[in-house]
Amino acid sequence: MSKPRLALFDFACCEGCQLQIVNMEEEILDLISVVHPVQWREAMSEQSEEYDIAVIEGSITRPEDEERLRRIRERSRFLIALGSCAATGGINNLKNQLNLKEAQRIVYGDAADMPHLDTDSTKSVDEVVLVDFKVLGCPIDQQEFAYIVRCLVLGKTPEIPTYPICVECKLQENTCRYEHGEICLGPITRAGCGARCPSQATWCFGCRGLSDEPNVYAAREVMDKYRKTPSDLEERMALFCSKPRYDHE
Amino acid sequence: MSIKKINQESLYSWVDSLIRKQRVYGVQANGERFAFAPLTDARLLKLDYDVTILPPKKYLLPQREDLMEFHIKGEYKSQVEAEPFILFGVHPYDVAAISQMDSIFCADNYDVNYMSRRHSATIVACDVQKASPNVFAGCLNTATVQEGFDILLTNIGSQYLADARTAKGEALLKDLSGDTPTAQDLEKREQVWENNQRLLRKHKLKCHPDELAELLDRSYYNPVWEEKAKRCFSCGSCNLVCPTCYCFDVQDDLNWDMETGKRTRAWDGCLLRDFAAVAGGHNFRRQRADRYRHRYYRKGKYIANKLGKIACVGCGRCIDNCVPGIANPVEIYNRLYMSQKNIYVPEPATLMRVLPMTSQETFYEVRLDSGRELGHEPGQFVEISLPGMGEAPISVSSSPTQTGIFQMVVRKVGNVTTALSKFKPGDKIGVRGPFGSQFPVHDLMKGKDILFICGGIGLVPVRSAINFILDNREDYGQIIIMYGYKSPSERLFAKELDAWRKVPKLTLLETVDCPDDTWTGNCGVITTLFPHIKVDPARTSAIICGPPLMYRFVVAELARQGFTDESIFVSLERRMKCGVGKCGHCQINNIYVCQKGPVFKYADIKEVMEAL
Repeated sequence: MSKPRLALFDFACCEGCQLQIVNMEEEILDLISVVHPVQWREAMSEQSEEYDIAVIEGSITRPEDEERLRRIRERSRFLIALGSCAATGGINNLKNQLNLKEAQRIVYGDAADMPHLDTDSTKSVDEVVLVDFKVLGCPIDQQEFAYIVRCLVLGKTPEIPTYPICVECKLQENTCRYEHGEICLGPITRAGCGARCPSQATWCFGCRGLSDEPNVYAAREVMDKYRKTPSDLEERMALFCSKPRYDHE
Repeated sequence: MSIKKINQESLYSWVDSLIRKQRVYGVQANGERFAFAPLTDARLLKLDYDVTILPPKKYLLPQREDLMEFHIKGEYKSQVEAEPFILFGVHPYDVAAISQMDSIFCADNYDVNYMSRRHSATIVACDVQKASPNVFAGCLNTATVQEGFDILLTNIGSQYLADARTAKGEALLKDLSGDTPTAQDLEKREQVWENNQRLLRKHKLKCHPDELAELLDRSYYNPVWEEKAKRCFSCGSCNLVCPTCYCFDVQDDLNWDMETGKRTRAWDGCLLRDFAAVAGGHNFRRQRADRYRHRYYRKGKYIANKLGKIACVGCGRCIDNCVPGIANPVEIYNRLYMSQKNIYVPEPATLMRVLPMTSQETFYEVRLDSGRELGHEPGQFVEISLPGMGEAPISVSSSPTQTGIFQMVVRKVGNVTTALSKFKPGDKIGVRGPFGSQFPVHDLMKGKDILFICGGIGLVPVRSAINFILDNREDYGQIIIMYGYKSPSERLFAKELDAWRKVPKLTLLETVDCPDDTWTGNCGVITTLFPHIKVDPARTSAIICGPPLMYRFVVAELARQGFTDESIFVSLERRMKCGVGKCGHCQINNIYVCQKGPVFKYADIKEVMEAL
């Protein structure tokens, strides 16, 4: 069987997730032993219109982006959303909390009315097209990306945690950030990064998005116990979880 | 088998010699908490730790371990680890947990991956030197252990006793130079064990652990599961830090050659959302409350039925590590226990000692016939029942650190108390409780200087707090006790007062209203003692207990001294008929004194009409 052809496309993002793949260094040789890259802006100059696996980086913020994304989807057998921006909308979701005109003015000042700076609400990739796999995180975890690619080539659905970060944090024997008087989003954020931030002595920013059935009700309730308020929590959630899906079971 | 007495230095050089020979995992600092980690230098050992974040099971059943390597053609190569190592400084409750894991992994299908590691391990246990904030091993008979380890270390003051109980332990101890312990040394060790049974009870189980299985049988539909699960993150922290949880998940991962790979197992938790979900999407414990309940059933019933012992050793890690604070097994089991009972029926108890103290007051020592601990906190009260006479609310006077019995002092004033004054040792009484709030010895008073101000029989409940503090001396600062009574003949606990005088950093001042010829001390109301003391109100908690009239004057004096309303605690008397917040007699405005009181922070009742 010939190696599947892989193409990487970037939309609204910092391209840091692509860079994580470039930074895999020697392991890139392993990666290209199972897939054949045909388009990857940060790593090669060639481009191609023929590919099996499309990797989408960044969120969708303009109507013409949606058109481009649909064309990519039509040409690919599998589509992977790479990183928070693509998988959940990521930081770009912050814009959705504002009036679009206001957002444009904040970013572009006097030039905000120029037609080429037109903008739309932020969408994750799966709000526009069907997504087969998501690689979460800001930036992504290299090992998780590698695992997902191997699963895809093998024909297996990758087993991505549905539970919160606390699991991985406890396994590493970290002291809970709440004990340090911080609001940590770990209890409602999807695991898979190995509790990267709490293991480096800072609270979880929630970059992987909410876990399955996050108990946001409980998160609000515990604020009182730690002498914080629900609005402190909301402020913290705004960065990566600004489309609240509160779970009131 | 041999026991050696060693000092700190010989302990260090012994441990260093062990490190040179094999892998040693010992307890070390981890930020402000503790963890087992590879030991490189004996001086990094922290044998006076309270509790580690993860239990030492991580070296017997690692967080993640390879079970086998495979080739996609269908070849499997078993992976079993068998390199010898030493676990150094394991607390008794964790020893008990390891023994339980041994039974599990040994029974039915022998788990060679676990058992091979277990046989490679030498366990050097160490008796607890500092109680962790939520430990309750004392309630589960795991505060001390006599088996399940190879060597037991006990700190008996400035030295350790090292006691080898197996051939493996004996071999290790050969390299250790030490003395033969004297009978006194062994007695000191007995004392440590006895103290630990008493002190490792930060939460108190109201029933016997053996009753839990049957209790749970009747509790499947209890509302507590839904109520607590609302605040559950399903994060599995309670599972992961538990020394008796051993569930795992098994996953495959291929290498980049896409042909070879590993099958690994990793810790899992029954609280996690998809723990019981199958391919196709059905989840057999779909609701949060289903999973929340399952943990308590597994600990208290399923494993108990299998092994004859509940799967909880009272380490308190689940309580330490639950962000919303809903994982306390003692709280849940006590709730279930209480919801099965007719709360108005007393339980039988026996008077063990009866001693007249004054012409009006008698001292009683009581044992519950069921053998369970009363489980009270300083400041709480019980309802004493004499069939035919009725019930009376009586303060508990002994410290919770005194186990097996509780004590009270009763003044004969009504039907019940007058009848009781005629009772003899061996006579039966009924007991309900403990009820009410407590002096905040576990939180607000901790680390503070304490000023006790007691009038008359106000000393009775306060004595419980004083003795508790003396049993946990390092957690508190200076203690000042001001004790006033009508006449020298009404002086309570005379011998104990004299003993307190000899305690370092404790000042006891007494005063009487009506002196007799023998009296040489201070005369006058209790506030006349204030000029004799020096307190720093900023770092002192004041506890007041006495006749109603006393409070106004004492509070005013404390305010003059600079005490804030937040640092003053009062114990109030009311007519408390039922003790469970129903009958209404004790109510002050919207407050039931039997529940929110009898101990109140002054700031909380200052503005309440009728309170003082």
